[in-house]
Amino acid sequence: MPDDMAKSTQNKIVVSGFRHVFETDDGPVQATDRVDLSIRAGEFVTLVGPSGCGKTTLLKALAGFIRPTEGSILCDGATVLGPGRDRGVVFQELAILPWRTVRRNIGHGLEIARVPRAAREATVGRLIELTGLAGFEERYPHELSGGMRQRVAVARTWAADPDVILMDEPFAAVDAMTRLTLQEELVRLCGATGKTVFFITHSVDEAVFLADRVLVMTRRPGRIKAAIDVPGRAAGRDWESFKIDSAMQAIVEQVLRLVREERGATAPAASAAVTK
Amino acid sequence: MRVTAAAEPRGGLASPATSSARVLRSLRAFPILLPFAALIAVWWAIHATGDFSPQVLVSPLAVWSAFLHLVIHGVMAEYASTSLRMIGFAALLSLAVGVPVGFAVGVNGYAARALEGFLRFLQGISGIAWLPLAIVWFGFTHTTTLVIVIYTLIVPIIFNTMTGVRAIPEEYGLALRSLGASRLRLVKDVYLPGALPSIVVGLRLGMGYGWRALIAAEMLVRKGGLGDLIFGARTFGQIDRIITGMIVIGCLYVVVDRLIVQPIENLTVARWGVLRQ
Ligand SMILES: Nc1ncnc2c1ncn2[C@@H]1O[C@H](COP(=O)(O)OP(=O)(O)O)[C@@H](O)[C@H]1O
Ligand SMILES: [Mg+2]
Repeated sequence: MPDDMAKSTQNKIVVSGFRHVFETDDGPVQATDRVDLSIRAGEFVTLVGPSGCGKTTLLKALAGFIRPTEGSILCDGATVLGPGRDRGVVFQELAILPWRTVRRNIGHGLEIARVPRAAREATVGRLIELTGLAGFEERYPHELSGGMRQRVAVARTWAADPDVILMDEPFAAVDAMTRLTLQEELVRLCGATGKTVFFITHSVDEAVFLADRVLVMTRRPGRIKAAIDVPGRAAGRDWESFKIDSAMQAIVEQVLRLVREERGATAPAASAAVTK
Repeated sequence: MRVTAAAEPRGGLASPATSSARVLRSLRAFPILLPFAALIAVWWAIHATGDFSPQVLVSPLAVWSAFLHLVIHGVMAEYASTSLRMIGFAALLSLAVGVPVGFAVGVNGYAARALEGFLRFLQGISGIAWLPLAIVWFGFTHTTTLVIVIYTLIVPIIFNTMTGVRAIPEEYGLALRSLGASRLRLVKDVYLPGALPSIVVGLRLGMGYGWRALIAAEMLVRKGGLGDLIFGARTFGQIDRIITGMIVIGCLYVVVDRLIVQPIENLTVARWGVLRQ
C-alpha cells in the first residue's frame, strides 16, 4: 500500500519523559508531566486536550523555543537544542508580519536562507497558487480576511520546506465555514508534500479529520493518555463523506469521551476524578 | 497676523494693506488661522485703547517691522539656524543612542521592569532643572545647551522604543526563528519595523520637550539661538524683538512638527496601523 511508503517506520520525532516547569512570580507551574510520544516520518499527528494542559508547552519544546526541565526531545535522532529550519511553526495568533506584503511574508524563510530571487519567486508563486492567494500578492495582512491571513502563515512555513511542521491551533480564530475549507486544503497540501505534521487543536472533529493518529492529553500537568489510529489516508478525506462515515464517527465519539473525562476532572468535583 | 501668515503654507508675505476681503477668504479656507487672527485682533485692540510705552507693549505692526528688519539684516537667519541646527543635531544623536538603548532594555524583561520607574523619575526632572549643574560643569557653552536638549529628547525616545519593542507579539519573533533567522535578522525584520511607530511617537514628544528646553537653555547660556535673541532683547527693552522671537519660536516648532515629524508618523501608521488594533 502507498500508505506504508509515506508512513515509514522510521521515527522522526521522539519525546521521552518530557516534564516542563515554568518558574513564575507565584512559584513553579508544572505544565507537563512525563510526556512520551513518537512521530514517524510523514505522519500527521493531532493533539487534543483541555485548555491549559500543556499542549503549547510541548509544541514550544519541539520547536526548540524552550528547553525541557526534564526528559529529552529528539528530532532525527539528535537532541533539539533550539529552533531550526527543519521544524517550521504555524501559530494561531497571526504571526505573519503586518508590514510585509503577502508575497514578502511567504518568501521570508527563503530570503533568510539567501535563496536567489528567481528561485524564491518560483516557490512563492507555486504556494500562492496552491493556497488560493493569487491576486493578493501585493496586499498587506490587514487588507485580508482572517482565513486568507492564516493561508499566508501556512504558505510561509511550507515555502521554507521544513521536514516537520508544528501547528498550534492554526484555524481556531477563523470562522467555521472558512475553517472547513482550510482543513480540506491542508489535507491536500500534506498529501502533495508528505510532511511530518504535529497539529494541536481543541476541536475533536478537526483532530480526527486531519490525523493519521490522534493523541489525547490529560489535564495539567499534561501527559499523553491515549493514542488512537485513524485508518485510511487523510489526503482522501472531505467533510461530506467524513460526516456520514460511521467508522470515522465512532472514532470521533471515542476521542470525545476521552477528552470529556478530562474536562470533568477540571470541574469542581475534581477530587473524585483525581483519585481514579 | 502677517508674521504668523508668513510661516503658514500658503500665507505669503502680504503687505499690511491686504484687503479685508482677502483676509476673510483665507480664514474660511484655513480655520487653523482663526485663533491666530483672534489673538492678533485682541492684541491690537488692547494696544490701541491703552496708552502703552514701547517698553511695555508694541503694536503688531511694530512687531512686523522688527521682523522684517531682523530678516533683512540676516539676524533672524543667524539666530534661528543656530537653534535649528542644535535641535536637529540633538535629535539625530538622541535617536542614534536612544533607540539601541531602548532596544536593549526592551528585549530584556528584567531590565525593562527595573528601568521603567527610573525613566519616569528622570522625565519628572525637566532638562531645565539640570541647567545649574550643567553650567557648573560645562560653563556657558554650546555643550551645556546640547547636554540639556539631548537629555530632554532621549528619555522619551528610550521609553517609547522600549514600550514599542515590548508590545510586539512574541509569535513574530518565534516564527522567524523557526525560519532560521539570526539575532540581527530579528532586529532588522521584526523589532525595528515593529517598534518604529512607537519610536516615531517618542521622537515627536521628544522634539516638543527638547525645543522648549533648548530655548530655555539658550536664554541662560547666551551663545546664540532664539532664546538668546529674546533674552538679549529684554536687556535693551526691545519688546518688538522679544515678541518677534516668540512668534518665530512657535512657528518653527509647528513647521518642524508638521513638515518633518508628522509625515513620518503618518507613513508608519498607514501601514503599521493594524498593530495598534
Ligand atoms: N511562559 C509561561 N510562564 C508561566 N506559565 C506558563 C507559561 N506558558 C504556559 N504556562 C502555564 O503552563 C500551563 C500550560 O500552558 P500551555 O502549554 O499554554 O497550555 P495549552 O496550550 O494546552 O492551553 C498553563 O497553566 C499555563 O498557564
Ligand atoms: Mg495553547
